[in-house]
Amino acid sequence: MSTEAHLDELQTVERLNLQVRIQHGLLMISVILLILTGLALLFRESSFGKVLIELEGGFEMRGTLHRAAALLLIFVAFYHLCYILFSRRGHEEFLQIMPRARDFKDWLQMLAYDVGISIQKPKLDRYSYREKFQYWAFVLFTLIMILSGIVLWQHDRLFGLLPKWSFDVAIAVHGGTGTLILIVLTLWHLYIVHLGPGRFPIDWSFWNGRISLKQLQEEHPLEYERLAVQELPARKARRDSAPRPTREEDG
Amino acid sequence: MKGRVSAAALILTGTLLLIMLSTAHGQIPLRDPNGRCLLECHGDPEFKEETAPGQYRTLYVDYEQFKLSVHREKLCVDCHTDVTLIPHERRPEEIHCLQCHYQGNVVGAPITERPEKYKESVHGKALQHGNPDAPDCRNCHGVHDARAPYDSLSTVYRMNIPKTCGRCHLDVYTVYLESVHGVAVTRGVPEAAVCSDCHREHDLLSPQDPRSSLYPMNVAGTCATCHANEELMHQVGISAEQVEAFKENFHGIALEFGVLRVARCTSCHEYHLILPSDDPRSSVHPENLAQTCGQCHPNATDNVAKGKFHLIPSNPEAGIVFWVSQFFKWLTISVLAGLFLHILLDLYGRLRHKATGG
Repeated sequence: MSTEAHLDELQTVERLNLQVRIQHGLLMISVILLILTGLALLFRESSFGKVLIELEGGFEMRGTLHRAAALLLIFVAFYHLCYILFSRRGHEEFLQIMPRARDFKDWLQMLAYDVGISIQKPKLDRYSYREKFQYWAFVLFTLIMILSGIVLWQHDRLFGLLPKWSFDVAIAVHGGTGTLILIVLTLWHLYIVHLGPGRFPIDWSFWNGRISLKQLQEEHPLEYERLAVQELPARKARRDSAPRPTREEDG
Repeated sequence: MKGRVSAAALILTGTLLLIMLSTAHGQIPLRDPNGRCLLECHGDPEFKEETAPGQYRTLYVDYEQFKLSVHREKLCVDCHTDVTLIPHERRPEEIHCLQCHYQGNVVGAPITERPEKYKESVHGKALQHGNPDAPDCRNCHGVHDARAPYDSLSTVYRMNIPKTCGRCHLDVYTVYLESVHGVAVTRGVPEAAVCSDCHREHDLLSPQDPRSSLYPMNVAGTCATCHANEELMHQVGISAEQVEAFKENFHGIALEFGVLRVARCTSCHEYHLILPSDDPRSSVHPENLAQTCGQCHPNATDNVAKGKFHLIPSNPEAGIVFWVSQFFKWLTISVLAGLFLHILLDLYGRLRHKATGG
């Protein structure tokens, strides 16, 4: 068993607070439901789609479920908006995840480092180009999906306002973006949560919110350094003054 | 059996008599075994019976027409089997086509499952329920003048079918004649849809019946028999992909899964008054679309005419929808490839630096 598996106060730090984990959890539920009910429609002619539709309670129930899940997504999006606007922590995090020109340089630097052109590894912060790309791509995807979805859902109301072609475009956009999201989410999550080095079978940080110091040092060195200067000595002091907790094993 | 023999004997003697009495300019060929019936009574155009005071019913049989019918080889008594004595004393019983046209008959009467289908049809049901106006075989196929369907003078010849149905369904017939199909039939285009192409012939069922060709879920398939035919649609200059596009679109998909309230072909294109979209009278003319769509979508305005119909997203004719689909197709492919490459690079970098201890 490797060291990072322990949830020791000293070896892991909280990366995702409860707020974020709950938002992520609700998002996960709604997106999985949306994908399953959406895929059922997209693949209605295959046996896979037919089984999905059957499981979802028939064709019309599938649509109702899809819209119910969409409402949850809209709620989470709205909640998130309130979180970044009105909560101090949310606002600070949001400022940190805003894209900067440096992110692009970091990305190029990382590519160069990966292939061996450069020996200098870019020093990434709490939110690197990867997290920023994930976050902003998903914000964009969600906006597109919510907008095109509302056009399709409320077509009867919007019939007088929008030209006919806009509904056809909404269908194409909704299906196209949905497929794109499915691919990006699946592939990226598979890599960063399940199959990436040190992650298998699953990285539990989405549940407990914690990241190992080793991983922090590797992937977010700037944040690690800040932490090492400010927080770790204090913690160490706290731990040393307290009675040492018994350990089953020592990695 | 005995009756048959005596009837045959009678006819024989009758015929012999007729031959002996024959005159050179007689209208009825006297060698004909049917001659007795005709010569005595039914060959006279004035021959009639009084059904009510002052009302008459003709009993005349146009023998020339009979000799051109599919039954030309038959004897009168082959069908009117209860006539065993000529002249007959009683009014012969109603005859029924199923006397001969049944499965396994030995007189060579052509038979399909059609008579059975007829019993299930709206006409057959109406007849069973005692509707005196309900048609049976004779009303469409004719009586003594029944001709084969491929005979251009037959009442059931393709091009004559609208007229035949129109004898009862006059209002529909007049509307149909205005339609693109009716006009084509009038012009003599044999491929144009006639009543039976959509409604079927013997298994003509109510549109509420799931077996009907016009049950909501079956309408597109019925239209597709012609409208998905490349060759035929090329001739009339319209796309053969309309039905396919419909099936791939929201209405068609919902219908496929049994949502019966959604629009099918006829909801927008009308049932009988089907007209091309450039005809101002057409329900799908751009000016009329707001009203047509408004049947189901009350908020519809002229905006519904701004766009294309029957889109196939992979077809460049779909315009903006084609380009949006293409954009997403290539975006998805490149994102997929890019993400894969990025993950591979990341893995490669990590493993390489792990190995070198960097």
